[in-house]
Amino acid sequence: MLAGFAGLAAAAVALSGCSGSGGPGDGDKVALEVQSAMAEGTPRFDALGKLAKAYEDDNPDVKVDVVAMGSDYEGDMKVRMGSGDLPDIWATHGWSLLRYSEFLEPLDDQPWADTLNPVLDSTMKNDDGEFFALPLTTDVAGILYNRTVLEDAGIDPASLGTIEAFDEALAKVKETGVVPISSSGKDDWFAGNVADWLGSGSYDGKESEQLADGEFVDSGFEAMFSKLEEWTKAGYFNPDFSSATSDDIATALGQGKTAFVMIQNSLALSAKQFVPDAQLGFMPVPAINGDPEYLIGGEGVALGAWRDGEHKEQALDFLAFLAETENIGAFASDDGNPAGLTGVDVDLGDLSDSYEQFFTPGEVRMVPYFDRAYLPNGMWNTLISTTGGIITGQTTVDSAVKQTEAEFGTLYGQQ
Amino acid sequence: MTVTPTPDPTDTVAVVAPGRRLNSATRGIFPRRLNWFYVPALVLFAVFSIYPLISGVSLSLTNWNGYSRSRAFVGFDNYLRLLDDEVFRTAMVNTLIYGVGSTLIQQVLGLGLAVVLDRIARGSSLLRAVIYLPVMVSPVVLGTMYYLIFRYNNGALNDVRALFGGEQVAWLADAGVGIAVIVIVNSLQFVGISMVIYLAGLQGVPTEYYEAAQLDGATWWQRFRSITVPLLQPAFATSIVLNLIGGLKLFDVVQVLTGGGPGQSTHSVSTLIGETYFSNQAAGYSAAIGVVLFVLIVAVTFVLNSLLNRKRVEL
Repeated sequence: MLAGFAGLAAAAVALSGCSGSGGPGDGDKVALEVQSAMAEGTPRFDALGKLAKAYEDDNPDVKVDVVAMGSDYEGDMKVRMGSGDLPDIWATHGWSLLRYSEFLEPLDDQPWADTLNPVLDSTMKNDDGEFFALPLTTDVAGILYNRTVLEDAGIDPASLGTIEAFDEALAKVKETGVVPISSSGKDDWFAGNVADWLGSGSYDGKESEQLADGEFVDSGFEAMFSKLEEWTKAGYFNPDFSSATSDDIATALGQGKTAFVMIQNSLALSAKQFVPDAQLGFMPVPAINGDPEYLIGGEGVALGAWRDGEHKEQALDFLAFLAETENIGAFASDDGNPAGLTGVDVDLGDLSDSYEQFFTPGEVRMVPYFDRAYLPNGMWNTLISTTGGIITGQTTVDSAVKQTEAEFGTLYGQQ
Repeated sequence: MTVTPTPDPTDTVAVVAPGRRLNSATRGIFPRRLNWFYVPALVLFAVFSIYPLISGVSLSLTNWNGYSRSRAFVGFDNYLRLLDDEVFRTAMVNTLIYGVGSTLIQQVLGLGLAVVLDRIARGSSLLRAVIYLPVMVSPVVLGTMYYLIFRYNNGALNDVRALFGGEQVAWLADAGVGIAVIVIVNSLQFVGISMVIYLAGLQGVPTEYYEAAQLDGATWWQRFRSITVPLLQPAFATSIVLNLIGGLKLFDVVQVLTGGGPGQSTHSVSTLIGETYFSNQAAGYSAAIGVVLFVLIVAVTFVLNSLLNRKRVEL
């Protein structure tokens, strides 16, 4: 019996020795866990997978596992941060500095660091000039529109630079029987983005800084919620706000059943998937307070490396590989956004016209995401609930402002 | 013949290994008959109930955001903030509606079904299984089904209305409708539990009582009121407490059906806890809400148990 066990053990040792001395099996490789914030099957997820495969081919001793996001990416990551068990690399979805920097390796000494798109300086760099993620794309966003709907209503998107002109356009669209603006309380980031898009144009620079310093200024929220209430009462929002999903809105935009959506440009890719011949574009956001119109910019798809990770060296090497001009350009083209590093050629697809019209000349000011720059961490959810409450008529402007103020006070002191 | 006396199972004399004696101090601390089989359960209970409870209470006294490496002690600030929180008040009222509303519906329906099924001779087993079936379905699945019924575009209810020329209605855009739907969905899902409890209770009532009452000329309603209801008191206690606790903890159906919206008008305390912890990143405050929910459930259970057991009827 004992002899049998000894024989088995010897055979196992011999077999494992064979495996080690021959071609490297998976067990001998360094496995890098790359947690993406992308759904499986999307063009951007496939693009990252292709790059990971190319890296593996160049580095046979490394295996790169690109993981698709679950249903609650932020929640999953918070649990992993709370338990101190993080992936080697993870997507920071706009929060590389404000939420994740405590856990990420600073990247400002990386060979590609000098080419970081300067548009991202205000949102990705801290006071010491450190930044913590490689931005594969720069997020440039405005108000998405269906070009055909606007043409039918006789509206030129370039003429909608003021809130008054935008109000008139909404009324014109409604007269044609098309839903002027679509959003969602079901896939609630849509509702949050409405507030995020309009918030930057509800406060001037000084007031925004007051907010950033922890002093609540109610005038901007009051103006924004009042505008939303006005649009709600005029019947400009989609009647299925409470039950519409992201796919519903993408389809409606593609089919010309809605004119405007305040959301990131990636929705245009989904709309094109549902309605391939859809004519789409994006335009700057008119400011509620009368300031000049603006585009919203920030960290797009970005990846950071765990500063305490066991495979930090390989993780940084993989990031350097992704930062190579050809690789980051390929990814950004599949994502439909400008690259996060300068000197990269990107095919922007159907939104090229809008980029050339509003972004490339650099004449339209670029503002950061309102909640990320000026509100305490955690306020995003308050923006969602208050906006949703106003659009569905469940909340008054006063009550929404009070709720926002209360959350602002608490979260500002949160650690 | 010598008869060896069999030890009485209720005998409380300590089982002591030969050669060992328990001194008086040891007898005072340990039960005389130590059954080690409950130790695994005790460990599990300590790990999954006691530890989280203590940890939750201690977390509720901090301002931790849920993931950062630092946290600060803030005393009872989180509890004081609850007094002024409109959303918490809404969630608390909703929770009571979910709990009490679901319990009432489940008691009436469950008892009614049990009485009917108790009298049906054929097909009763099949009907019981059909009514009990939703209990075994995940609330998430059931919530999703009802979402597909009530949604605006392509919702089954709106499609049926359209067949008769009716206009589409945004059902879930209204807080009142949302709350009513949640209560109904939760009740229909778990009515099977009440039914089973009442059926068991009904089958435990001796038929002689009914026969004697019938001989005395009592009507069905008199028999039901004077015999069935008093003797079902233990079943009432069990069913009401179980349903009420389930309703007060309601999470899944709310989350799937309305997500607490529109706005924050249909939140239950449980969904608010999740949202406050993960979305608002206020783990300390979320823990404080959790502690309040725990106290509420304990208090309600205690009061109900006392009230309902006081009315228990001995056969």
